[in-house]
Amino acid sequence: MNILFFAALVGYFVASVFQFVGASMKKEALRKIAHIVFLISFVLHTAFMTWRGIEAHRVPLSNQFEFASAFAWAAVVMGFVLYKRLKQEWVMTVAMPVAYLVLSYAAFQPMEIKEMMPALRSTWFVLHIGSAAFSYASFAIAGGLGVSYLVQLKKGKSETDAKMKQIDYMGYRLICLGFLLLTVVIFSGAIWAEQAWSAWWTWDPKETWALITWIFYAIYLHQRLRLKWQGKRMAWLAIIAVILVAFTFVGVNLLLPGLHSYAV
Amino acid sequence: MKKFLRFFRSMKFGMILLVLVMLLSLAGSLIPQQESAMHYVRAYGSQAAQVMIALGVTDIFHTWYFYALEILLCLNLTLCSILRFPRTRKAGREWLSRAEKAEGEHPLTSEQREKLCAYLSARHYRLYETAGGKVYSKNAAGFYGSFLTHLSILLVLLFGSLVLMTPDIQDRTVMPGSDFILEDGTVITCESFHIQDDTGKLDYASVLTMKSADGSQEKRQEIRVNEPMRFGEYKVYQQTYGTAGRVKITNHANGAEEVMFLTDPCFLSIDGRNGVYFQALYPGFIQDEEGNYTLITSTANSYTDPVYSIQSIADGMSTSVLAFPDEELRIGDISFTFLSPAEYPGLRIKHVSSWLFGGLYFSFGLMVVALYLCFFAVPVYVKVQPDAFTVLSPKNQQGLMIDLGALLDEKEQEE
Repeated sequence: MNILFFAALVGYFVASVFQFVGASMKKEALRKIAHIVFLISFVLHTAFMTWRGIEAHRVPLSNQFEFASAFAWAAVVMGFVLYKRLKQEWVMTVAMPVAYLVLSYAAFQPMEIKEMMPALRSTWFVLHIGSAAFSYASFAIAGGLGVSYLVQLKKGKSETDAKMKQIDYMGYRLICLGFLLLTVVIFSGAIWAEQAWSAWWTWDPKETWALITWIFYAIYLHQRLRLKWQGKRMAWLAIIAVILVAFTFVGVNLLLPGLHSYAV
Repeated sequence: MKKFLRFFRSMKFGMILLVLVMLLSLAGSLIPQQESAMHYVRAYGSQAAQVMIALGVTDIFHTWYFYALEILLCLNLTLCSILRFPRTRKAGREWLSRAEKAEGEHPLTSEQREKLCAYLSARHYRLYETAGGKVYSKNAAGFYGSFLTHLSILLVLLFGSLVLMTPDIQDRTVMPGSDFILEDGTVITCESFHIQDDTGKLDYASVLTMKSADGSQEKRQEIRVNEPMRFGEYKVYQQTYGTAGRVKITNHANGAEEVMFLTDPCFLSIDGRNGVYFQALYPGFIQDEEGNYTLITSTANSYTDPVYSIQSIADGMSTSVLAFPDEELRIGDISFTFLSPAEYPGLRIKHVSSWLFGGLYFSFGLMVVALYLCFFAVPVYVKVQPDAFTVLSPKNQQGLMIDLGALLDEKEQEE
């Protein structure tokens, strides 16, 4: 059944290329194809995750492969929800490559289904890791919107342009959502850690990096709300923040061993 | 002084503190923490290690300056929150009065007005009939979002520090079938321990009974990772496990028998002169063709062929012996029968006030709600006049404007 996963991966790639070419050349037909391929890929991806969950007798979120797959899935869900609400093509132009890149990372991880270790068998498992997947997806799309904003700016679009304002605002809203979810991740993790290891905070590298990311986004939000920073500066901050998120997700597991090392 | 206080309670100072906490956390995650001095000498060289240890970066999260940053952040948050509260309380009334006086910005036809009013009512906007027109308001609780967020961060820091600093923690190993008594007389008995469940899945579970000193309260529970046992202000965790040797000692002179667990080297004797000195339990062995034994020390494959390394001591003579499970060794009237090893749990017993945990969890919940209010319950006032409407809010209402734009465009398209 791993064929479903690879079909979804190829589908996301094809959709991203069609969307990008369609957006660059303003070809509506290509965009439509991209949307259809993206939707089919999402269905295949969902089917794969459902099958894996049934096969493993648990929610498939327990290792790097499963988490990356859920992260990509969450990015697609967010892409569809935003597109349905805003009806703006730039949403899909960002969401498609984000989903493809994250799922590509998953493809390089060990895929075999393993028994879940006792420490992960907890009622907090789904809330903690599920929130993390959606939080990271929000931050990733916000970072993608930051890139999109800077590219448009480079192409000569004005910061006062309605579309640019909308991209900027949507990036901020996604960061608000991601920040709220990251808070849920940290708190649910703290409660879970207290139940499993007796200490709610141990300065484990994953915890510390989640805190670093949280503080960085807190600074972003304060700059935005109080100093009214917008546009280019916020786009750059959103991109830098995604690098922190990526390090928390991948780098910590590879370079800084700790209590979360089983997530590899 | 006034200038200093203004800076001390400012957002700028709060941001500086957050950046410093972030940078120290970064250093703390990249430099291994709480290792031995030799570890730093090997990794960074003697001089660098000395500087690092002197600066405290080898245990950065417990340095005076890290605590000082936390205290300053708490003070900054407290001053921010206190000063913000009166303004927060007034904000709702001020914005309502501002909306009452506002002039319409976006023109409306009568049909559009009806549609807009119906839309706002359907979304549970509260209606105020004023002299200048209708004012619809929503999310007045959102004014408290920022205040509550800062308050909850303060509470998390406060309760979190207390929870981390106050508990009395002890780690104990307990053999299945035995018990131990805590300082206040509470008795913890370990009835059994197993590593795998019935289906062969790894489990690590201990069945414990806890009894209060006066015997008035008793509780029995199977604990495992993620399922600690709560008894009064005690919390008992399944922390670790180990494997112990077992020996049955029989005194043939009086027929007495006793089974003992063997974890550390010890001398088993009745008269203090003759007996068995237990050295170690090995998980397995390899025997070559000449009958020589090589003992396996790795426990990776569990105790597949356990073997006891002992010294038999009789009449001042000591002999090294390898004993296998069910093997009997007789010295005088005493016989030692070595049994299959048994697993035992390592328990962590924590004594901590429940209300501190309650306070911490309440702060967590409050912060999530407060952030929701902050970001997703933004107060909004829509003034609808006969020929125009206007939207007022302390924050950007681009989302609502998109929705209203779509609503009114739809109308135009229909027309």
